[in-house]
Amino acid sequence: MTSTLVTDPVIDELVAICGPDNVFADRSSRVNRARVPAPFPVHRWAEHVPDVVVLPTTAEQVSEVVKLANRHRIPVVPRAGGTGLTDGAVPLRHGIVVDVKLMNKILEIDLDDRTVTVQPGINMLKLNEELQQYGVIYPDDPASYPCSLVGGRIGTSGWSLIGGRYGHTRDLVISFQIVLPTGELIWVGDGGGRKVRKSSTGYQLKHLFMGHQGTLGIVTEAVLELVPRPEAEFAAFFSYPDYETAWRSTGALAKSGLATLAGVVLFDEWKLDYLRRDDEAYIPQPDDVRCVVATAMYGTTDEVRPGAKRLMRIGKDTGGAYLGDEISQGDWASRHDRYATPLHGRLRDGQVVPMSWHCEDASINWSQLPQVRREWHEIVARLGDNFRIFDDWGMFAYTNAAFKPWGDYLTEIDVGIWEQELDDAAWDAWVTAKRDIAAVAIAHGGSISACHGACRAGEVDLVPEELGGGWDVMKKVKRVLDPLNIMNPGKYLLDEAYE
Amino acid sequence: MSSTERTDGDNGTDGFVAEWRNGAYNCYSSGHKFCREVCPVMQVTRNEVHTPTAFHANVVAMEKGLLDIADVARDYVHCTGCGACELRCPNTLFTGDFYRFRTRTVQLVKAARALAVDQGIHQPGWQRWVEETSRQKSEPVLGAEVPVSQEHVRDWAAGLDLPIGGETILFCDCEGAFHRTSVPRAAAKLLQRAGVEFGLMREQWCCGGPAAEMGYVDRAREFAKHNVDDWRAVGARRIIVFDPHDYISFTEDYPSYFGDEYDFEIVLFVELLAELIRDGRLPLTHPVERTVTYHDACRLNKRKGIHAAPREVLRAIPGLTFKDVDHVTQWSYCSGAGGGLPIERPDLTAEISRRRVERAAALDVDTLVSACVWSERPLTEQRGALEIMDLLEIVALAAGLEDER
Amino acid sequence: MIGFRLSAERPPDPRRINDVVVQRLDHVYEVDPELMRDHIQQHDFPAWDTRRIVDSRWEHLAWMHAHWADSVVSGEELISTEE
Ligand SMILES: Cc1cc2nc3c(=O)[nH]c(=O)nc-3n(C[C@H](O)[C@H](O)[C@H](O)COP(=O)(O)OP(=O)(O)OC[C@H]3O[C@@H](n4cnc5c(N)ncnc54)[C@H](O)[C@@H]3O)c2cc1C
Ligand code: SF4
Repeated sequence: MTSTLVTDPVIDELVAICGPDNVFADRSSRVNRARVPAPFPVHRWAEHVPDVVVLPTTAEQVSEVVKLANRHRIPVVPRAGGTGLTDGAVPLRHGIVVDVKLMNKILEIDLDDRTVTVQPGINMLKLNEELQQYGVIYPDDPASYPCSLVGGRIGTSGWSLIGGRYGHTRDLVISFQIVLPTGELIWVGDGGGRKVRKSSTGYQLKHLFMGHQGTLGIVTEAVLELVPRPEAEFAAFFSYPDYETAWRSTGALAKSGLATLAGVVLFDEWKLDYLRRDDEAYIPQPDDVRCVVATAMYGTTDEVRPGAKRLMRIGKDTGGAYLGDEISQGDWASRHDRYATPLHGRLRDGQVVPMSWHCEDASINWSQLPQVRREWHEIVARLGDNFRIFDDWGMFAYTNAAFKPWGDYLTEIDVGIWEQELDDAAWDAWVTAKRDIAAVAIAHGGSISACHGACRAGEVDLVPEELGGGWDVMKKVKRVLDPLNIMNPGKYLLDEAYE
Repeated sequence: MSSTERTDGDNGTDGFVAEWRNGAYNCYSSGHKFCREVCPVMQVTRNEVHTPTAFHANVVAMEKGLLDIADVARDYVHCTGCGACELRCPNTLFTGDFYRFRTRTVQLVKAARALAVDQGIHQPGWQRWVEETSRQKSEPVLGAEVPVSQEHVRDWAAGLDLPIGGETILFCDCEGAFHRTSVPRAAAKLLQRAGVEFGLMREQWCCGGPAAEMGYVDRAREFAKHNVDDWRAVGARRIIVFDPHDYISFTEDYPSYFGDEYDFEIVLFVELLAELIRDGRLPLTHPVERTVTYHDACRLNKRKGIHAAPREVLRAIPGLTFKDVDHVTQWSYCSGAGGGLPIERPDLTAEISRRRVERAAALDVDTLVSACVWSERPLTEQRGALEIMDLLEIVALAAGLEDER
Repeated sequence: MIGFRLSAERPPDPRRINDVVVQRLDHVYEVDPELMRDHIQQHDFPAWDTRRIVDSRWEHLAWMHAHWADSVVSGEELISTEE
């Protein structure tokens, strides 16, 4: 269950750095930091257990831990909320888990220059509860809004439900402090000023140090964007008799040019069937409700009300029927935090089983959605034909661009997996299916992952293909910044950088 | 916990794992941690082994042979039993009613603690507490106003002239009987004023809830059996409780011990109080010139969905300025007093209470009103400039049954 | 009666809504219990608990709206003022 690198003297050094209360080498602490909610080879749990866990409280401690790891050549895996849906925070080579949850302070609220400075262990919902009194909000809104943490949002470069209006994590994090793989502490942003949103000085390093899944360092402090707390919210759900109409309507709504439009979401027929299993909003819907498109707007009342009227008209003119306030408002409110629950899982005979949720999250252009959807469902259907533990939970397509809800879509196929019955054969079939799903995304000019990251088994094999010449640059960068392959080794095939 | 899931035979790890396997996988295969930030303990320790996610994953790890109860017994101490996590969990909040299957972290924590005790792994503070409770029949509450013993269990009622027995019994929990006696006194006087007939038990023992929470299941049942026998012996049909912990014991634990033959009506004091005030049977005539906020008792708000009655009562008090924080926000509030935490981790209880009081103080109030007598001790210890009052104490002022000190 | 009584907590027998859904309490859908037979079994579920969850869900959703914005614009109202 452990590697031999972390010896007692190493633990003593860690205690000297982080303090005796913040270093954990007991079994429970380690076993419970081996996984994240992404489907996990539960039958191979022991392979992913770290040797020791630290909960530092300062950037300097993090820096010292990373330096120590370099001295002893011990892998380091950063862990924030542990909600990642790729296996980013899962240790592949044991080592030290740096868990940043104790670093959850708000350091500064600057209402003049509209920023809030935080430590990486803070959660967005908790942050916004504090910000409410100032009339501002930090609008990074993944469906894991109440549980993911700022450090993990940066580590994955996540996607926000309302990014079409407010931008995504990369747009909302203005600058941050990061411990490099060799232990030095630096600040990166758009240029040098910590609260500057746009600069042309030097290379744009902020992007490089986001979304690397902990392979390029550990974020220890971040300056975040503040926007005015919305006066008004508007959500409208429309129903359609077929996919083609719903898809065209999605495009029309997204291209409306309404500035308060925060996002458009397309639910396909599989998703509707799935929702009819257990969702009180969808159970009573008549059969001709085959697809749904959800929209939401945020802003001042003066903008949202007239914008909403226009949006309603577009929905109607493009074949949508308004589903009513209860479902529109209720379902939308649940999108900030709801997701698949295990008992959605069904065997083909209809019996309920607890399944874990797997979400493939490619970026796909609007024009390609119908074809990708067809091919993805076929892949999942084949999987289900061979193994009863897989269940197709349908697809969503969410607008994916920042500040403008058109162009490409976070295209998600949700697959239920009955982990209690998982074995090597099923796991291998699953990994193959993931590779096939990723291949479809690339073949249609898309990208493997819009938000979670593409380092999961299977799809990761295709990252070099997707990135082309950029893959060689990525390897060079990794090798230069992390000469001893300390940070989250084994992820993203980056061992190849050292061959 | 489903009766069909329960396996016969030993009380060892295998039985525990078999009983909790599906519940554990139901969380394990979610693993999304929506429960984390509402947990009062996690808000302080930020240590993942104190989360419901870990509490469930441990069962799977036991099944896989990666952990055993000795590895995790101490982790399970870190729970106040407030119920925030299991309510906030989407598997409860969004689908629990649909599947008639919900997350039961509180139950799981109790079961894991019981497994530890069965295997001889004791938490010293809890072991002593339960032994003392068995000896005195009441909990060994600290800093008691009256000595804890069966002889003194009714001392709080001195001079009130309360009968023994009858159809309706007022059950007084240990903390109220021996420490904060002003609460049961207020309760009794309010009932008298409203003309509600009631009596006390012949011999009241601890409800057994704390022993059950600490993993001493057999002890808990002994207390329960004694109390139910006492109720039956005096012909009681209705039990009034003011302590939320007792309310849980009587509406959840006792039914599970005694099944269908358990036919008592259990009345929560604050709900009765709201009704008495609404019906004009308890006039509140004395203005109480205070600015207050209300602390949602976890076992009422989160575990029972009871949050309206206490607010209705506070709004009926003349002169009172009530600055409310909604009950959903308060899912993540707690005093830290529950689940035996103050006995094993008094440092955490103190910090949880400190944060709760700090939130109240930020509202510019002079009084924090609670409806849970157990919460009032740690809150009072952290009170700073605030006064901590029980809802019944403040209503007694408004009814003219007590004077402002 | 405002008190708890065990005998009053047993929900009525289910009536069928469609192939996979039944209903015991008004406005509360439930899975057909037959579908939770082979692999996972339902809990013993007192009526108060069902009501608590349903109420909490709506309260939570209302809380989320208030968390994100000061007010919620109603589509139904927009439609009625349009015509
Ligand atoms: C129910 C649910 C819904 C979700 N919905 C969305 C969604 O809508 N949009 C979306 O983008 N994601 C979503 N996710 C995925 C997940 O929440 C995000 O990927 C999130 O950004 C992960 O944050 P975390 O704090 O949990 O990070 P972790 O899972 O702990 O870590 C994620 C990665 O970041 C690295 N990391 C952690 N901390 C640091 C740090 N301080 N510095 C550098 N690297 C670090 C880790 O090593 C890991 O590789 C969802 C997940 C769930 C469970
Ligand atoms: S208890 Fe519920 S919210 Fe918490 S991790 Fe488990 S399933 Fe998710």
